[in-house]
Amino acid sequence: MTGQTTAAPQKQKLTWSRYSFPESLWSFGTLLAVIVFLGYSLHFLNIDILMMLGAMGKLGGVVAARFYPPDLAYVTDPGYLASILDTLQMSFLGGILGVFLAIPLAWFSAWNVSPHRKIFFPIGRLGVISCRAIHETIWTILFVSILGFGMLAGVSALTMFCIGFAGKLFSDEIEAVDMGPVEAMRAAGANSFQVFIFAVVPQVRVAFTGIAIYTWDVAFRAATVVGFFGGGGMGWYLKRNVQQLENLRVGAIILSIIAMVLIAEFISGWLRSAVNRAK
Amino acid sequence: MSVLSVRNLRVRYTAKGPEILKGIDFDLESDDFLAMIGPSGAGKSTLIRCVNRLVEPTDGQITLLGQDVRALNARDLRGLRRNVGMIFQEFNLINRMSVMDNVLSGRLGYTSNIRSLFRHFPKEDISQALDYLDRVGLSDHINKRADELSGGQRQRVGIARALMQQPKLLLLDEPTSALDPKISREVMALIMGIAKELGVPALCNIHDVQLAKEFCNRIIGLQDGVKKFDGDTATLRDSDLEEIYAMEVL
Repeated sequence: MTGQTTAAPQKQKLTWSRYSFPESLWSFGTLLAVIVFLGYSLHFLNIDILMMLGAMGKLGGVVAARFYPPDLAYVTDPGYLASILDTLQMSFLGGILGVFLAIPLAWFSAWNVSPHRKIFFPIGRLGVISCRAIHETIWTILFVSILGFGMLAGVSALTMFCIGFAGKLFSDEIEAVDMGPVEAMRAAGANSFQVFIFAVVPQVRVAFTGIAIYTWDVAFRAATVVGFFGGGGMGWYLKRNVQQLENLRVGAIILSIIAMVLIAEFISGWLRSAVNRAK
Repeated sequence: MSVLSVRNLRVRYTAKGPEILKGIDFDLESDDFLAMIGPSGAGKSTLIRCVNRLVEPTDGQITLLGQDVRALNARDLRGLRRNVGMIFQEFNLINRMSVMDNVLSGRLGYTSNIRSLFRHFPKEDISQALDYLDRVGLSDHINKRADELSGGQRQRVGIARALMQQPKLLLLDEPTSALDPKISREVMALIMGIAKELGVPALCNIHDVQLAKEFCNRIIGLQDGVKKFDGDTATLRDSDLEEIYAMEVL
């Protein structure tokens, strides 16, 4: 062996570079393409950067002149407070329904434990994707046209939104489980439902709880928009006042929405960390 | 008649991938405790998983308990699987469930969906589980979570779970590789004792030749998907071992 190494020709200088030729062409080419497209888009939009910066100050002036002082008396009115409760109830119902419907769909659409890869997998994927593909405002418009104005349409739209939102996150979570217990349950003769209950659910329980809380948080935010398009709740008041040019009231409503969303976010964050600690 | 007979078993994981098993033949008799030895990557795990079709064979014939394994539909396959207890290298327990629930999960093949959903197992199953937990020495740990146990204890849970199936065959996939030498010996002794007691044959993947010689009456040597040795433990010579492990001396 040693004879061979000494007999080798003079030592080649070793070199190393992160990107060798064909890969470097691809990575730098992609970067260049992104930059060129970005420049093209800006050019196409005809955005004047200086005017944009100047507009910021003007925008502040307009907001101050039109929306200040916000009509806080309006948002403490019992009718409006009741609409906050409506929005909360809507997000809650939509969230719970959506999460419960999302669980079976997520199970179907998780490739690793799907009950049937040729039948249930496409059903699950299609279900989740179609809920996601349509924006919550469009769901609202659709349901309002079927069910009429009000909370029922709002809850239905939020349910669809939550199925799409939670379903995707749930199925990603299921696809990341440790397959060891799954294999063991299959080897014991369990069917796919039993495999799901025994090998999958215990592994994803904590993550699912966190996702469910997060879904409610996001659904609450969506619920304010859903109201705007006829689903009832705070958004409904917002729309009416926007159309009547009651700007001081609009300012107060927006402030109340920000406050409620912050509270929801705080509660959801606190609950999620509590769940994580409990696992 | 042999419990398990395998003929010309071939496996490829992908159509163009390498052939993992290249025509394996062997029989397992009702009083066998058969060791399958061989270097890593020889196809031991693949072979053992073909027996209960956790891995789908590409070609060949497997006859288990008088049934043509490859011809079974999903329902009949589940019916066959519940007769075959399996013990795993990494235990494959459900970490967030109690020891009791883990052991009871061995009964799933006999349990309805509704009962499974509520984890409501029949009384007989529970008393059977208590018996087996006592047999494997875990009576004091029944309500602990599986991930609170040591490696040796976890494998004992795995053994009790496999026994709950009332198996007619035990498949052991490297049952001791994750354990230290002393515990390995204890676990092998426990499995062999129970297998003899219940009259259940076993097929055991194992890379520790010493343990294989000590506990198993018959040895099959596998190398790169080909059977290189098949005979009683007493007939295994050092030259055979050298041949089986030849490719590892690199």
